[in-house]
Amino acid sequence: MDTEKALQLAESRLKDFIVSANRPEENRLDVVINRKDLKAAVSALLEEKQWGYLSAITGLDNAAWKVDETSKERSLDPDGGSLELLYQFCYGAAVTTLRVSLPYDDAKVDSICDLISSVTLYEREAAELLGIEFIGAPNTDRLVLPDNWPDGVYPLRKSFTGLENTAKG
Amino acid sequence: MDFNTAPEKFIVPIGPQHPALKEPGHFEFTVEGEIVTNATARLGFVHRGMEKGAEERTWIQDLYLMERVCGICSHVHALAFSLGAEKLAGVQAPPRAQAIREMVAELERIHSHLLWLGVAAHEGGFDTLFMYSWRDRETVMDLLETISGNRVNYSVNVLGGVKIDISDQQADEIRKGMDFLEERTKHYLKVVTEDETFLGRTRNIGVMDSELAVKLGAIGPTARASGLKRDVRYDAPYAGYGDFPVKVITNKKGDLEARFVVRIEELFESYRLVREILDKMPAGDLTVKVPRRIPEGEVISRVEAPRGELLYFMKSNGSDKPERIKVRTPSLCNWASVLVTAIGHNLADMPMILAGIDPCFSCNDRIVTVNRNVDSSQMDWEDLRRYGIEYYK
Amino acid sequence: MENMMQGVMVKVKTWARVNSPWAIHYNSGSCNGCDIEILATLTPRYDVERFGIKLQGSPRHADVLICTGPVTLQSRDRLVRIYNQMPEPKFVVAVGSCGLSGGVFQGCYNVVGDISEVIPVNVYVPGCPPRPEAIIHGVVELLKSLQN
Repeated sequence: MDTEKALQLAESRLKDFIVSANRPEENRLDVVINRKDLKAAVSALLEEKQWGYLSAITGLDNAAWKVDETSKERSLDPDGGSLELLYQFCYGAAVTTLRVSLPYDDAKVDSICDLISSVTLYEREAAELLGIEFIGAPNTDRLVLPDNWPDGVYPLRKSFTGLENTAKG
Repeated sequence: MDFNTAPEKFIVPIGPQHPALKEPGHFEFTVEGEIVTNATARLGFVHRGMEKGAEERTWIQDLYLMERVCGICSHVHALAFSLGAEKLAGVQAPPRAQAIREMVAELERIHSHLLWLGVAAHEGGFDTLFMYSWRDRETVMDLLETISGNRVNYSVNVLGGVKIDISDQQADEIRKGMDFLEERTKHYLKVVTEDETFLGRTRNIGVMDSELAVKLGAIGPTARASGLKRDVRYDAPYAGYGDFPVKVITNKKGDLEARFVVRIEELFESYRLVREILDKMPAGDLTVKVPRRIPEGEVISRVEAPRGELLYFMKSNGSDKPERIKVRTPSLCNWASVLVTAIGHNLADMPMILAGIDPCFSCNDRIVTVNRNVDSSQMDWEDLRRYGIEYYK
Repeated sequence: MENMMQGVMVKVKTWARVNSPWAIHYNSGSCNGCDIEILATLTPRYDVERFGIKLQGSPRHADVLICTGPVTLQSRDRLVRIYNQMPEPKFVVAVGSCGLSGGVFQGCYNVVGDISEVIPVNVYVPGCPPRPEAIIHGVVELLKSLQN
């Protein structure tokens, strides 16, 4: 299928869930959705003829920074920022990304393992590296971090600067 | 399909090529009698913290870091990274550089598939085939060393292009190498499709039909062996693949034999592509300038590694260090297919089924665990491998 | 290059006659580059087994531990366990830049780096990865030092 047609098809399937949509690249469609709509949106992409395949789930720490006037150095602003999950679906050259924003103090979202069984590994990775909880996930065992890694320490968060600097470390 | 962990564990370290070479990691197979009823995975022994490390290094330093995600497919990692950075910077590497990038990617595919052929053969007990394929593989290792200076981690990419050029003499050596390997590969194809003992371990084993492959999101040669025409080089051409397109190799059978045949036929296609690029190499510059500070933005860079689709999500914040680099390696995608196709099969088929998806050890490390609910005897990988060989005698 | 190679091979033959070391390999988190070059030493072009250097599976029978990788936190305990299971006299060859200093991974949150921070190392073979000839040379240097 032609890339443009594929992206339009994705957009129409997701129309009930779009909070905002844009085209960051010619072949990419980014759709921001509410986390409560995640499973419905994924189902919409999977219905009848599946729209491509889920290629990756990327976790982001969109931390807020304050920049010091004089030194121009940036430091973390603890009052701002959020986590974000990107569900990246590929169909030929077209890539549709579902973007779900999550607050730090309530970083929970539904697991989509009952829709796509193979995502368990992606969810486990995001869970332990960024501290996101996937409600209903069939397996929450450690995936990549060592057994003796301290709980509650999420290395991919911007606030993590090394085990030796961690209060719990 | 259930991904829950099972109660009793038997650690079976995966020994990829040689009994003594044990790869650290964790797969659990639950076995009832002879039949596998469940499977799950725990990785982590090769987790180095690279995505975080990438945020602390400059874009240029990260090129050298990303090359070393995997020693077997190092070029495609650097390629995905360079292409992504170039997209963010709004530049395109010149045609000659893209052609050289594609040629090295195909040479890497050749080395990787020959490596895998030897490994998979060893898992099935065919050590002669292992020795022959690795001996022949030295041909392409020599070629890669001739053009780049290193046998592994060739490091030909720079941000904006390549740092090597191909002389006429090198081109002739490469052509000779392709001719030699093509002859040898014809022989391997015969062995894989005609040898009775080999077929006993591969024909109709580990079948995954195209519908299941779609559902599980399989990629790479594993998906193509189940009839899916899924190849990033064809679906979303990058580097030189627009000018030098690839023919996608598929096979409808979906069993282990098909996975062998697809990879061997891909070798022929790679030989053809390398020759074509050498014959029609565009003239011109090797690099274009890329700024030290990469403009803000988000980009997705997808390339076809020997094992399947490699996806890089890259986010820049306008500085000389990336904001986020996410690497989704192909083997992670294909594990699900193993865990599903394993169920219902004999324990003796596990080594070959695992080898059939060409798992990349450092892209994802793993140990295989065999759960036997009945007794508590331990089985290590060498035992499991021998078990499979004995079972099929 | 030819003469140097021949020189190395003569040394290997001498030492193989004196010692037939049994080696065990351990990957402490490497990218596999070093491991496939170690494996290449067993294949026909280098064929290190004809010199009596045998790569086998159990630490309890090993004289030499060939270790790759920057020692990830998860692999550290197992590395120590394997080392402790080896009978005396035992020796360690660290193959690759990762085992020297952490290589490109130096400073990453899940690696230790220098293998000698975990177990004693007798020989370092630098390179990313080192060629099979360099790996063989490293083992030969170790055997030479054993003779003295």
